[in-house]
Amino acid sequence: MRPLSLAMLAVAVTVSATPAQTPAAFIVESPTMTTGEMMPRDYSPDGRNVSPPLTWSGLPSGTRQLAVICQDHGAGNPAPWVHWMIYNIPVGVTGLPEGIPFDASDPMPAGLEGATQGRNGWGLPMYRGPAPPGTTLHHYHFAVFALDAELNLPPGLTRAQLLDAIDEHVIGQGDMTPHYQRHPASADLTP
Amino acid sequence: MADQSRDRSPISRRDLLKSAGAAGAAALLPGAAAAELPKALPAAAPAPLAVAPTGPLMNLTAQETEILGAMVDRLIPSDDMGPGAVEAGALRFIDRALSEAESDSVQAYRTGLAALDHYSRYTRGAPFIELSDRDKDSVLIDVQLGGATGAEVGFVGSSGSFFNMVKSHTWQGTFGDPTYGGNVNFIGWDILGYPGVRMRVSEEDQSLMEAGQLPPVRRSAYEYGQFQITGGEE
Repeated sequence: MRPLSLAMLAVAVTVSATPAQTPAAFIVESPTMTTGEMMPRDYSPDGRNVSPPLTWSGLPSGTRQLAVICQDHGAGNPAPWVHWMIYNIPVGVTGLPEGIPFDASDPMPAGLEGATQGRNGWGLPMYRGPAPPGTTLHHYHFAVFALDAELNLPPGLTRAQLLDAIDEHVIGQGDMTPHYQRHPASADLTP
Repeated sequence: MADQSRDRSPISRRDLLKSAGAAGAAALLPGAAAAELPKALPAAAPAPLAVAPTGPLMNLTAQETEILGAMVDRLIPSDDMGPGAVEAGALRFIDRALSEAESDSVQAYRTGLAALDHYSRYTRGAPFIELSDRDKDSVLIDVQLGGATGAEVGFVGSSGSFFNMVKSHTWQGTFGDPTYGGNVNFIGWDILGYPGVRMRVSEEDQSLMEAGQLPPVRRSAYEYGQFQITGGEE
């Protein structure tokens, strides 16, 4: 399959907006990941498989809430394969810390009260990181959506349900796309 | 050192495994929604208490037994709501099965348990039995989803096959008829809210059952003349 360019990845997940409101681009970064570079193995089942930290800045005026989707446009039938969704994110935070709880009984970190996780491709309301087959290299698109309303959506939405719910509320979008490749079989197994 | 603190929100932990496709205990409740848990059963007539079998397993080493016990304990944990699979004798059930009907699975258990521990050390930096409950759950989710394959940790085929085998046997050992060595003290049936085998259910019994007030019958199905164990050695 022809690999997607990073620009095409950003376009692929851009939610359609009304003609009067084109989503504004804002900055999404991470203290531990960089677009176009390998993400640390702790964000995959080769390590602790915890959610990575994200930061954002330059949100458009009028942002009231945020939503994040992590997906692999080179996997899934049909693509993309969803690794993580988290929404109902309060506008007061400037990012997500590493290690968002995967157990619903554990509280969200301070400032993220009310944030909710949707169902990933495995049907689980949690982050589950990259496990590309063999030693293939895949790209993992973190899309952050700025919304013009506090939608307070229910937990456990699918990607289609989330995109449908936020479709008319997206006023901004930021992206970053690190990649990942599993360690080859000859890798040293000592942690 | 293993995390000594226990999660005090057992509903969400059991629901976590249910949502991971593990078909947790509540999903087996007759007529109950998956998210609901049984009300406490009314007091049954006193019966002599069995003791969960202890001592070494015949088919696994002490280390393998420790790892298996830690895994089984996460699948159906003992917690504030009551005992779990270990107390229900699931390990002894599995060992008996490996000596009898599941003898072909002994090597699969030994290979899988070694791989589980290897994966735990490789990804979480510690043996499986020393992880916190949260980290054990995280490891088991990766194993169940087939993601525990990096750097050849040792699972034969998909790690999910090993998970499903142990889960299936744990369920059987916890909820099956106690004749087969598990469900000690009817712990498993109490988890389900199953009131026990009855040959007759009167209208009053039905009303009491619907109200969650039917006293449980603590008997194996094979104590009734209508049921007989068939197959295997005669």
